[in-house]
Amino acid sequence: MHFQTPRVRSLIFIDGIPVEGTSKGNHMTIAVLLKQVPDTTAKISVNGGRVDENAVSKWSFSPYDEYALEAALQLKESAGGEIVAITAGPARCEKLLRDAAAVGADTLVHVSAENINDLDSTQVQKLLAAAVQKSGASVIFCGKQAADTNAGSTGPGVAELIGASCVTLVSEVSSDGGGYTATRPSSTGHEKVTASAPCVFAFDKGVSEMRRPNVRGIMMAKKKPIETWSLGDLGVDIEANGVNIDSHSPPAEKPPGQKFEGAESVSTVVSKLRDEANVI
Amino acid sequence: MVRDMVRDFVDEEVIPKIEHACRDGVFPDEWRVALGEMGVLGAPLKGYDCPGLSYTAYGVICRELERGDSGLRSFASVQGSLAMYPIWDFGSEEQKQHYLPKMASGEWIGCFGLTEPDYGSNPGDMITKAEDMGDHYLLNGAKMWITNGTVAQLAVVWAKLDGVIRGFIVEKDDPGFSAPEMKGKHSLKASVTSELVFQDCKIPKDRILPGVKGLRGPFSCLNNARYGISWGAVGAAQACFDSAKEYSLSRIQFTHPIASYQLVQNKLAWMLREITKAQLLAYHLGQKKDAGTWIPEHISLAKMNNVDIALEIAREARDIHGANGILDEYCIMRHMANLESVKTYEGTHDIHNLILGRHITGIQAFTREL
Amino acid sequence: MECTVIAETSGNSIHPITAQLVGAASSLGATPTVVIPGGAGAEEAASIDGVSKVISVVGDCFSTFDSGAWASAIASQCSGVVIAGATPIGREVASRVAAKRGIPIIQDATGLKSGITITRPIYSGKAVETSTVSGDCVITLRANAFDAAGSGGSASVNVVDQSADISIAVKEAISKASERLDVSEANIIISGGRGIGEKENFSHLEEVADIIGAAVGASRAVVDEWGMPHSMQVGQTGKTVTPSLYIAVGISGAIQHLAGMRSSKYIVAINKDPDAPIFGVADYGIVATWEEAVPALKSALAAL
Repeated sequence: MHFQTPRVRSLIFIDGIPVEGTSKGNHMTIAVLLKQVPDTTAKISVNGGRVDENAVSKWSFSPYDEYALEAALQLKESAGGEIVAITAGPARCEKLLRDAAAVGADTLVHVSAENINDLDSTQVQKLLAAAVQKSGASVIFCGKQAADTNAGSTGPGVAELIGASCVTLVSEVSSDGGGYTATRPSSTGHEKVTASAPCVFAFDKGVSEMRRPNVRGIMMAKKKPIETWSLGDLGVDIEANGVNIDSHSPPAEKPPGQKFEGAESVSTVVSKLRDEANVI
Repeated sequence: MVRDMVRDFVDEEVIPKIEHACRDGVFPDEWRVALGEMGVLGAPLKGYDCPGLSYTAYGVICRELERGDSGLRSFASVQGSLAMYPIWDFGSEEQKQHYLPKMASGEWIGCFGLTEPDYGSNPGDMITKAEDMGDHYLLNGAKMWITNGTVAQLAVVWAKLDGVIRGFIVEKDDPGFSAPEMKGKHSLKASVTSELVFQDCKIPKDRILPGVKGLRGPFSCLNNARYGISWGAVGAAQACFDSAKEYSLSRIQFTHPIASYQLVQNKLAWMLREITKAQLLAYHLGQKKDAGTWIPEHISLAKMNNVDIALEIAREARDIHGANGILDEYCIMRHMANLESVKTYEGTHDIHNLILGRHITGIQAFTREL
Repeated sequence: MECTVIAETSGNSIHPITAQLVGAASSLGATPTVVIPGGAGAEEAASIDGVSKVISVVGDCFSTFDSGAWASAIASQCSGVVIAGATPIGREVASRVAAKRGIPIIQDATGLKSGITITRPIYSGKAVETSTVSGDCVITLRANAFDAAGSGGSASVNVVDQSADISIAVKEAISKASERLDVSEANIIISGGRGIGEKENFSHLEEVADIIGAAVGASRAVVDEWGMPHSMQVGQTGKTVTPSLYIAVGISGAIQHLAGMRSSKYIVAINKDPDAPIFGVADYGIVATWEEAVPALKSALAAL
């Protein structure tokens, strides 16, 4: 499949409704890495030593990816350019790309990977790095970690592979002269840092929730083509898997509720919260 | 995708605010704006910036809205099926281009004036009248129970011109027209219900809807709205069922959750059955609407059945919630009270019964004269 | 087994998690080298039991956090299996080191066994993954999930001057906003109900919240009666929350409140009434007055 570098046409918003139009000339291509995960309200059940994907009632954007996508849309609105939405996974991921198109992603890329969660971090990062390079993007937005693996290695890992800087736990990014300014936490609160392309921004909760699509956006999204890239198309050798997943299991049963008398028991409870429950 | 868009809107913007809107008796204007932005108003209409969605999608939109509140869905039904639709089907080209785009965006709200204080189930004998005065029409009469009336920019009003029912577009600022709000409702409280009063109301000649004469006009509109309602009722029933299920699992009495008791399970199972049947009926009807193989009696059957069981489900759900069910902490009694109106408007339960009776037997039983 | 621990620093010293990283390495039979990005706390690190040597990597690049630069500067010192803390800095630096070396990274491990077999939570704790890595890899460890090594060690310290080009600059520091986390986002929530007596007493809960980075919630009763902001309300008509830890203080546990917090991972209840329904859902229930229990909670948490 031949990927054509997109030319001047891109979607811009008029009154919140995406319309075909010409880009503002600044050819910033923003790649947004999106992952489809079980909805965070969905029940996760384990069957035969593996989380049962067939039992998942609803698939959605990984929540931090939504913040990344919204931030990318806002950056495009203020500074021009176009958004390439990239997702790696099985066929069901195409729905995610359509949802991204409905809110304004310009180009949709599906990196075909049947068992994405069986790949180790080096394999996933090689795939996505290759996809990012093929897309021509110089700035990459992604979520700080996916809601299924909760790992958070992809952003910095992809940055390393393509020789980009990265800023993580970002809440906001703006265009700044030739570079970007991002807000991230610091020991005293928050700080604004500057970085220039190529760079990866991994989002924590952003300043804006992802916008709602509208019917017009949905209709246009349904007709939008999706580029499907295989390992061969990307020309990448992801080599063998270095991590063998032995099993998935449900979380350990919580011990039955324990009741204590008197304020003297507070320190015991606090220790248990740390050692037994591991929540502090 | 459309379902998720509306569902998320209802979860995020409507459900947190609806109880207060209901207490205060207001329809939050932000919802009008949001519905316009989402592009769901006049869902099945094509052209003139209208969404052009399938009837099934329109049904899904109504169901998701009514899961939030029947008043919210009423706003959309009136706007789309009762105000936009008649202009779309019976209006002149100029009227369509002038009104429809702004109604689709939610900028202009419309309403539908058919029912009168003394003419509800029998609209054919209405007394609101229009007279041709040469360079304008003069309207006299009053309409009642009009959703959106007080906040609408325009009203599609049905009046007799020389004894024949015609549609007229009346605008807010037309002289002799007023739309006072009706207060004191126990039902559809988060919805604006009004009277439309015409006292020598002058409207320009180009406001008449040229494309239809007689009751066929308003009845076509009502059929579209009733179709949406058949889906909407499923949404209300689902909201009540979900709440009853959650409540019965949390409420402990005699050391067990009440969901563990057989009488409660029986009620929940019955609700599930009825919701499933109603949903399938609405879905099949949507297919027929899209295929063009429907008749009005199909719609009567669906509207009547679905609203009826939704009301029963709401009542049963209230029972499961016990005393807690009377608080607006839970959605139940709001849905229950709303459904009383939904059962009566757009053709009362009994009228739809008789529509079906006439269809089955060939004999009308609406009036004494056969 | 060759092993490197990437130390976590905090200001001018070593963060306590570092001793846990060394302890974990020891449990795998390794005597790790400890690499300190920036070099702070080298003596302290050298005194951790089971450390073979400490390498303090110093350079200009360590004055700003740029994970690419840090990874460039320390990567050549990070050989074998690399262990770091699953902290914001640890996770980011470890990811870049792993990608640089072309080895896999496994984040947020809660259990380790020789092999190496790694256990970690996935799907936000709704499931657990066990995997085995045979070659070199990078593993980040969850804080407080592993025993810290003792402090009788006396390893040697090597200072290596190795800077790298920084590509990130700090433009502006914004001091901590006084706004607290919202209940819907927080991992830990401490909520107050009628049992705490009056609105002003919420300040005690806020103090606890500040120590552990929690949000402060409220029951409907106090939102209605004391005018607490509605955004704090947890319950049927407020927010439904699913934090890892929910601490209910002076809340009886009426069904409407339970509806909002029942799915919390762990629930602690503090109430003077031993029959309060909240104890029916609490994992750890403390029958005590809030006046005695909350200050005890504050000091116990501060001591952690």
